[in-house]
Amino acid sequence: MSKGTKGLIPPGLAYIADNFTSKGNILGASKGSGAKWAKDLSLPKRSETIFFAGCGYQYSAELEALSSLIRGMDKSRIGAESSMGIATLGKKLGVDLGGVYRRVAVRGSSSDAQPLVDAVRVLGKLGVQFGYLAEDEPCCAGLLHYVGLEKEFSQNAESLYSRLKSLGVKRIIGIVPSCTYTLRTLVPHSAPGYDIEVRHFSEVVLGKINSVELRFPKEAKVVYHDPCQLARYLGLTEEPRQILRAIKGIALVETEWTHGEWATCCGGGGGFEAVFPELSQILAVNRTRELLETGAKMIVTHCPGCILQLRAGLKELKAEDVEVLDLAQVISMSM
Amino acid sequence: MSVFKDYKKEIMDAAHNERISLALSRAIKSYRGNTNQALKKFPHTIQMAEEVRQIKEKAIGEMEKLAQQASAAITENKGKAYIAKTADDARNIIDGLVGKGKLIVKGKSMTAEEIELREHLEGRGNEVYETDLGEFIIQKLGSRPMHILSPAIHVPKEDVAQLFSKITGEKLPADIATLVATARKLLREKYFKADIGMSGANVVSADTGTLFIIENEGNIRLATGAPPVHIALIGMEKLVPTLGDANKVAEVTWRYANYTVPSYVSLISGPSKTGDIEKVTTYGAHGPAEFHVIFMDAGRTSLAKNPILRQALYCLRCGGCLYECPVFAVTAGHFGDKYFAGIGAVWAAMLSGDVEKGAAVAYTCLTCGRCKIRCPMKIDTPEMIVELRKLIVGDGAQAAPLS
Repeated sequence: MSKGTKGLIPPGLAYIADNFTSKGNILGASKGSGAKWAKDLSLPKRSETIFFAGCGYQYSAELEALSSLIRGMDKSRIGAESSMGIATLGKKLGVDLGGVYRRVAVRGSSSDAQPLVDAVRVLGKLGVQFGYLAEDEPCCAGLLHYVGLEKEFSQNAESLYSRLKSLGVKRIIGIVPSCTYTLRTLVPHSAPGYDIEVRHFSEVVLGKINSVELRFPKEAKVVYHDPCQLARYLGLTEEPRQILRAIKGIALVETEWTHGEWATCCGGGGGFEAVFPELSQILAVNRTRELLETGAKMIVTHCPGCILQLRAGLKELKAEDVEVLDLAQVISMSM
Repeated sequence: MSVFKDYKKEIMDAAHNERISLALSRAIKSYRGNTNQALKKFPHTIQMAEEVRQIKEKAIGEMEKLAQQASAAITENKGKAYIAKTADDARNIIDGLVGKGKLIVKGKSMTAEEIELREHLEGRGNEVYETDLGEFIIQKLGSRPMHILSPAIHVPKEDVAQLFSKITGEKLPADIATLVATARKLLREKYFKADIGMSGANVVSADTGTLFIIENEGNIRLATGAPPVHIALIGMEKLVPTLGDANKVAEVTWRYANYTVPSYVSLISGPSKTGDIEKVTTYGAHGPAEFHVIFMDAGRTSLAKNPILRQALYCLRCGGCLYECPVFAVTAGHFGDKYFAGIGAVWAAMLSGDVEKGAAVAYTCLTCGRCKIRCPMKIDTPEMIVELRKLIVGDGAQAAPLS
């Protein structure tokens, strides 16, 4: 097999990978704009234990705008017939992609970053001591690994580790499944001597949950959607369920077969939505349908990508009476 | 990017074809139900699968030695064995045995599909009949298989009725029993008129040179039993050291292919023979007088050297992963090349050497990992996909495996 064929990376992914290397996050948003959600929380910027917010929730408004734009282009078949990159295509169509993110960012992404605010609140209430690096938080760049840009990923992993070390970080509480897996498993593989302990939010919460009484504001039939990376990469299927079962007022139901390690992917895995946006939406609808078959009126999940996908699925299925919430939101609402 | 463009169009057309999703959703439901039941009835299968993984890991490292050992055993059994280094070598050996203008009945074989053997033989003036019902439908439709075990998984009965009506010249109803009976009638005489029967094998024991062929229809028993010559084309990854090992591989394969037990397992080690008249061994009693086995490498031994991608060679072809793949559920085999879904990308890029197609297929994988949960061999397809993408972009090739 011949090597060195970067031209074989599909356009959508190449665009995202470019943003990583040039702007430091997947969307090419300006540095630091993501940390806005935390500006009123007065979290210490330096601590041995840090909360790692990741890109997903912080930029989810931008992500949503981007994916609906790409889907529109994909459906019109322009995307399918064009060999140009998405950015070029955007220009050609007169769509200013950068502008789309900026506008959404100005409009304020605080409600999309709500799970982060809630996670911080929950950890605080449970007595966990931690800080948040804010604009100093590096991007884990996990997607580079999944795209196949291993050299770039490795370089980033090394600088990421030395940066975290220089900031005095010894323990990380991750929340985005993919970032958590990257920091826990992939980065250590590329950064020799990596000694940072990485735990996921759900593990930390479950360890302390007995100390508080949790009651959801209303009676709710809830179905939990396992994110791929949380369930099959990090092996965390029971932790979120035990937390949900500990909340009074919540009746947890399961899909017939497709739960836990057998959960169906929402269609947003591994940058897939950037390559096959329209197909990604079909998969989102299929997964949402499986979840709705349980009769639940609330879908709880724990991944910014899954949230976007499932909301798109609900919209397509016109299931306006069903909502998608992040696990962190549900816990916070129950405190 | 034109390969990618064409491929994306094909994928999206499939995803918009509701007949595919409908056929697949029924198949997935029945697969899961049957497999869960089969595993419940024979719970030892799960541990046996772990044993088989160890057998395969070892066997894949010594495919060449096993091929020689199996060849020696087959020769001793009065069959003929060949080792084909490339797909071309395999076709040449088969051409030498078949010649031209022959009537051939063929059992379903993914390895034959891999080297487009039927098309090749037809191109040389032979008349080839696929005898597996699904494969027969595919052949007559001029289409390509969409699942490794159920090639016509995407074709509803109405379409089959229309097709068979055209072939027979009678108006046939969309009644499955009638359609099955029609295929039986159409193919029956071919087995006995055929010059050659062809097959693959699910697993081969090197010590005895025994081919294990698993089936339900009975077409392979006829195709490998009735004609005077039997030719088997087998990928070298199917070899395991002993008859005992092969038994385990076979049982795990059919159980994860959703059967408690299949109707037939043929064990073939040599040509048909008799010594019933004066103890003089004579070949071709009721079955074939000639038995030819071709063990094909075609990239397998070099694939085995990659510590991550070699997992593709552990595959038993039970097809379980396909039922768990969310993309496959809406596209069927359009997500793939000769082999399908995530693992199919490895075969496309590494064995067929079609890097562009391999890349397109590789980037269609969600890396969601549900296939790995189903796989009896615990093949880590997401890990293989990422490794393949690394090789495709030429970055960090041969990275060490993650522990």
